[in-house]
This record gives sequence, C-alpha cells and structure tokens, in this order.
Amino acid sequence: MGLTSHPRHIAWLEVEIESAPDTGLGIAPHTIKDVVAILRHATERGLAVQVWGGGTHSGYGNPRDPDLIMSMEHFDEVERWEPDDLTIVVGAGAGIADVESRLVERSQSLVMSERPGRGTIGGAIAAGVSPLRRGRLYGIRERVLEVTMVTGDGRLIRSGGRVVKNVTGYDLHRLAVGAFGSLGVITSVCLKLWPTPPAAATVTLDDPGQAADITRPLALLDVNGVTRLYLWGTDREVDGQVARLKGESAPGHDWPADPTGAWGWSLRVPPSQTSEAVARLPDGWRHVAVHGVGEIRAGSESPDGAGELREWAESLGGRLVMTRGAPDRFDPWGSPPPALDLQRRLIAQFDPQRVINPGRLAGGL
Amino acid sequence: MSLVADLRAVLGDEDVLEEPVELHLFSKDASLIRGRPACVVFPENTDEVAEVVRIAEQHGVPIVARGAGTGLSAGASPTQGGIVLVTTALQEIEIDPPNRSAWVGAGVINLDLSKQAAPYGLHFAPDPSSQSACTIGGNVANNSGGPHCLAEGSTTSHVLGMEVVLAGGEIVVLGGDAPDPPGLDIKGVIVGSEGTLGIVTRALVRLLPIEPDVRTLLMDFPSVEAAARTVSDVIAAGLVPAALELMDRRMVEAVENWLQAGLPTGAAAVLLAEVLGETEGVVSQAELIADVARANGATGIEIAANKEHRALLWLGRKSAFGAIAQLAPDYYLHDAVVPRTRLVETMAAIYEIADRYDLTMLNVFHAGDGNLHPLIAFDSSDPVVDERVHRAGEEIVAFCLDAGGALSGEHGVGLEKRDLMRASFTELDLDAQARLKEAFDPAGVFNPTKILPEGSRCFDYGGIRRELPDGVWV
Repeated sequence: MGLTSHPRHIAWLEVEIESAPDTGLGIAPHTIKDVVAILRHATERGLAVQVWGGGTHSGYGNPRDPDLIMSMEHFDEVERWEPDDLTIVVGAGAGIADVESRLVERSQSLVMSERPGRGTIGGAIAAGVSPLRRGRLYGIRERVLEVTMVTGDGRLIRSGGRVVKNVTGYDLHRLAVGAFGSLGVITSVCLKLWPTPPAAATVTLDDPGQAADITRPLALLDVNGVTRLYLWGTDREVDGQVARLKGESAPGHDWPADPTGAWGWSLRVPPSQTSEAVARLPDGWRHVAVHGVGEIRAGSESPDGAGELREWAESLGGRLVMTRGAPDRFDPWGSPPPALDLQRRLIAQFDPQRVINPGRLAGGL
Repeated sequence: MSLVADLRAVLGDEDVLEEPVELHLFSKDASLIRGRPACVVFPENTDEVAEVVRIAEQHGVPIVARGAGTGLSAGASPTQGGIVLVTTALQEIEIDPPNRSAWVGAGVINLDLSKQAAPYGLHFAPDPSSQSACTIGGNVANNSGGPHCLAEGSTTSHVLGMEVVLAGGEIVVLGGDAPDPPGLDIKGVIVGSEGTLGIVTRALVRLLPIEPDVRTLLMDFPSVEAAARTVSDVIAAGLVPAALELMDRRMVEAVENWLQAGLPTGAAAVLLAEVLGETEGVVSQAELIADVARANGATGIEIAANKEHRALLWLGRKSAFGAIAQLAPDYYLHDAVVPRTRLVETMAAIYEIADRYDLTMLNVFHAGDGNLHPLIAFDSSDPVVDERVHRAGEEIVAFCLDAGGALSGEHGVGLEKRDLMRASFTELDLDAQARLKEAFDPAGVFNPTKILPEGSRCFDYGGIRRELPDGVWV
C-alpha cells in the first residue's frame, strides 16, 4: 500500500506551500488562496493530488499514487448556521459528527451518515455517500444547496445558493456530488438541514413484510438478517405505530455501523430486488441492506464470489462497487458508466491536466 | 434539400409545420417574449428526435424543445429561429409499482402521471400550479417545483434516470432504478438545464406512496407580515409541512371573484398549510401550526372538513394565475427566493416598490421555502407602464438577492432572467457554467442564448495565470 493509507503522513509533512517540493508531500492549506496556488502548481507540473478529509472513503476507486496529499482539515469552520431557516454554511473539512453535535441543541440534523466516524462533510459529498435514512429523507445530493470549490486548474467557483429552492443556472453543485473531486476541491458548502422530531423508536421485526403498514418509515434495514424498522415523529404518532406492530421496540435510534472486513462493498440494485440481493451475498459477507432503496453495504474477508454478484447486479441495471480492498485484485467499479466521452469532456473543462484524484472515478477517469 | 424537406423525409409531412399561423402558435411560451421558428416538428419517438438533432446540426439551425409551453421565462421561445421540437407525441407511461417508479414520455402531462399512478397508491410529488397542462419533459427541463416541493424537493429529487438525445444525435440512457450510478451525475445536471444540454425524451421518475391521512389548514391574518411571520415560526419550530402557501388580499379577491373556492376575502393575507402522514402525526402537526398561527394573531383557522373541501382550497390556490385575466391582459412575475427568516421584511419591501411605481401587485407564493411570486397585472401594450413594470421587477430581484436570496426558485432563467445572472454569480462562476454547456453542446444547437448572459465564456482564462479577483470568497 502506498501513501494513501497513511493519514498520519499529513500531520508531520505539513509545511508552508511556498516551500513545497514537487513530490511526496502532505499539505494542509489554511486558505482558499493556498488551495488555488497548490492546484495551479499541480497543474503546471502535472502532479496527482489526493484530497484528504477524514480518510473514511479513501478506499474507493483505483487512484494513481499521489504526488501530494492535500488535507482539508483547516476548512472545518461553521461559517453560518441559520437554525430558523434550516440551513448551514460549513467548511468541507468539518467533521460530520462534530457539526451534528452542535445541531442537536436545536433538534436539527445534516441527514448525512449516521455513523460517520472521522468522516468530513466534503468527503461524504465528494464520495456521494448517502445516509441510511435516504428512503424517507433522500440522498446526500438533495442536501447540497451551494458548493464553493477550486477547480483542478485553480479557479474558484461557486454554484447554487443559500436558499432551499433554487434553479438559477446549471447545477454544478449537484454535479460535484459523487464526483470524487474530478471537477474541483470542495472548500465549503451550504446544506439543507432537517428538523428531528421529538420521538424516535427502533422496532425489531421478523421480516420486512411486517412493516408494510407503515407508509413511509424513516428507514427499514436488514442488519445481518435482523429486520429493524426506524420510526420517528410526535410522541402520539410513534406510540401509535409501535402499538400496531408486532415486534420488540426500543426508544431512540440504534444505527448500525458499516460492515467490517478487509473488503468493503456497496451493492446497488432496483429497490424491489433488495431481499434477493441479500440472499445472493456470498457466505460470510456481513451486510446492512436498505429496503425501499436497493442499497446493500457489505464487508468480507475476500473478494470470492464478488464477480458473480456483480454480473447479477449489472444484469438488473445495478452495480457492485468495491469501497475498500485491493484494486489490483478486483476492479473497483465494474462496467464503465454511460456517456464516458461526455464525462471526459466535462472533466477536461475543470481539471484539464487531471490533477485531483486522477483515475479515482468510475471508468478510470 | 431544404431544412423542411429533410425533416419531412424523416418525420412525414404532417409532423412538420411551416404555415405562418402554425409558426405563430409556437412562437412563444407563457412568458412575454416571442420568437419566430423556421418550422415546428412533432417527433413520435426517440429515434426521430435524434434524427431532428442531426438534421439541425447539418443545417446549422438551433432546436428549442417545448412541452406544453407553460414556461414563464421564455425558455421555450424560439428567439433564434430554427426548429421548435414539440414533445407532446412522446406519451408513454410505464408504471413499476414494486420499484415505485415510472418511465414517462416527455410529453406526458404532469397530472396524468399522478392519475395513472393513483390506482397503485402512488403519485408524482412535483405539482406545479400548471400541472393539468405542463409536461414531464418541461418539469425536467425547468426542475419544476410546486407547493408540495417544500417537504419532498423539486423535480430533480424525483428523476432517477432518463433517456436523452445529446449533441450529434447520440441517444444515451442515464441512471435507473438502482441508486447511486457511478461516474459523474450527468442526468442531475441535465435536470433544470432548460433544453440547453440535450433533449430528454423519457424520464424515469420516483413515485411516492399516497399518505394515509391529510390535514389542510386555511388561516387568515390581519396583515401579510403576520402571515409571513407564521411561516418563519413554523419552520423555526422544527416542522416542515407538506405545503405552506401564502396569498394576499388582492389575490384572494381575484380568485374568489372567479371560482368561489371559499377563501376569506376580508383578510389581509391567507395561509394554506398542509400536513401529510399517519393520522396521529397529522393531527398533532396541524395543532402545532394552528398554535403558531394564533400566536401571530390569526383571525380565523379552518381545517378542510373533507376531500372535496380540500380539493376546492387547492383549486383556489392553483388557479391564482388564471384569475389575473380579470384584472389585466398581461402579468409579469418574478420567482426569486429569500431565506425564510427574511420573509417579513421582503414582503414589506415588495409592496413598497409596487406602490412607488404605481403598479397593481398581487402575491401568491410558496412561503414555506421562501419562493416568492410577486405578480404585476398590467397591459403590455402601454410602453410607459411596461417600462415601469420591468424596473419594479428588477428592484424586487435586487432586494431579494441582497437579502441572501436566489434569482429563480422554480421558473427557470430562460431568456427573461439571464441578464440578471451577473447579479448572482461572478465572472468565473458564469465561465464555469459556460464551460459545462460547451462540453455538452459544442456547436450550440440546443436552445442557444438561454440561461447564460452573452459573453459568459468571453474571456480566455489563460491557463493558470489569471489572478484571483481581490477579496472574493477568500
């Protein structure tokens, strides 16, 4: 494994960018001007820059070994939280958990990963990782109202706005979601927050069919074969729902961590195929499946059986994406996405020398 | 061969119009800006759309795609001539209840989709006021909203996939029922691009289950400010209703005079709020909203007693623009958005501007997400009034932007608002958007001159040498 798996390199290699040598260096810029300077430098010299948030999504794709690792740790400020408007402007390097712990005082949430660990807001957006509550509250792209980023060739651009509804111009900010930095490095974002209602309960069911009565639950998960239904609302509402269901209930929400293992997977299938997908997981794979969405997160000790699973998923228009493992042993993304030429042309407009996370995106872009 | 002859060879004679009266019919959308197309075509499938794109490129003429023509920003006005491509023959609806989605032809009318999905207990969430006329293709092109987008988001949140004809007539299927397709989210940026990046022929849309219960509240207030404050307070209390709409006295009177929907004509402002969900939930949410309204001095609070009553209240709201016809031959409206915390002062400013220009101003808007629709009723044949209307409109937009708002919430930029884009974005921001357009449509075939002001891509960035503008965003 190369530099990519060692975030500690960043701390001891942090230096002023003026004196930065060409290769083998970690940099943690403090200002947007620094980010601009670093990326212009990288573009001039054709360097590969890996952008580092919390390192929690660093296993995706098949990146080129970086010449530079740029940590966004200093872009961690909450610039502006408007609780009465349910919006927040925050630096891309801010930890999801840190920001959530502030929002709790007004019963609000980012509605990003439930168990983010060291994950940052910018990292989750760049990787396009959605919360388990996405069946009810939508995926991460619906939270992003505005993105400020520095393009691969060092231009500072902004798209979207700081209001909850906006069709002004092209949605470059949404294009940045899941783009793995291929357009630019996100420096700050404005996000749509969501209120957390007062009551919450988690009900364990024998099978997902028992939840059919609940029109739009917050989430219905299969955690290693155990069905968990997540409810929220007013006290009366949640009490009423719990009373109607057969199953053991506990107050609050106990969210599962992503499945462990040397290899990590994200299986994506049409929602109606979720149970079938779980049944097809190779022996020994741990999983968290999101019913109604078709997303199955899995962990395993080897990639055995993954090829067959991918073939099945792709035959349904789905995907098996490797989120952690050895890209030299298993192709992380599978079949290339459609409109690859158009994707190349788009990226060329923003990162012409392909300096940010080159090769990381699906299709080897 | 001539353009029309080439098109007729592919589409047949009857699907290509070129008579002056026919061209006039398709010379504008619902905005005030008119163009003049060379011809109007009605392709019947995606392959025909692709052929039209290739023919347009060969002849070097632009294509303006159009659904029902209900757009309000001149996005579908063929001001550069060329071909108007009408999608109304693309009528497929294929509902997939287990996956809660549907493949829908671009020409399908928004409300027809929800009607067809209803037997499966499903509906399409975006519900623009024009939903009984506007098409899914138009909704996708404009990222349309509607009252119920407050809780569920605009069209972009409900497009899972699409079939699109790109430059060169290339047909591509993007996205699908499976979540998170890898690669750049190209479909995501096509939504809301107003036909400038390609032509969407079919969309795979998300359908939501119809909620078991609903409460619709009608609340009247002694002042617009009290109603606006109620909106802010409801959101601040941590409740996002399904819809939260505000109408001022003049608007209510116009609607009542026409429809008798039972809206209170005596109040300075009326709020229409709706909560959806299970019975226990909607009852407690409706109570919370009523409490907030009372604390802000609501003089009447009525809860729709039944389905018919609810339908009538919504008919009143959604017919508002139609009711203007009684007052004046034309109307001009902006759809700027402000942060919800700034609603009270923004409404006060809007009335002050209208009074200063001596204009008839009515307001009906999506208050819950701060999306204003200040509407000026006037006669555009009077050039003096016309000038005042546009100056007042620009002042309103400027105020909203100063308040931290956005130029357009759901109607799109089109031609009408494109020169105001410079007030929202820097030169570099607009250049980035122009680069996006260039990557999709290097020949400039798809709806040219819309969205971006002229000169957006005018400067050569000069590689990496250009300095940052002083002090911006740093």
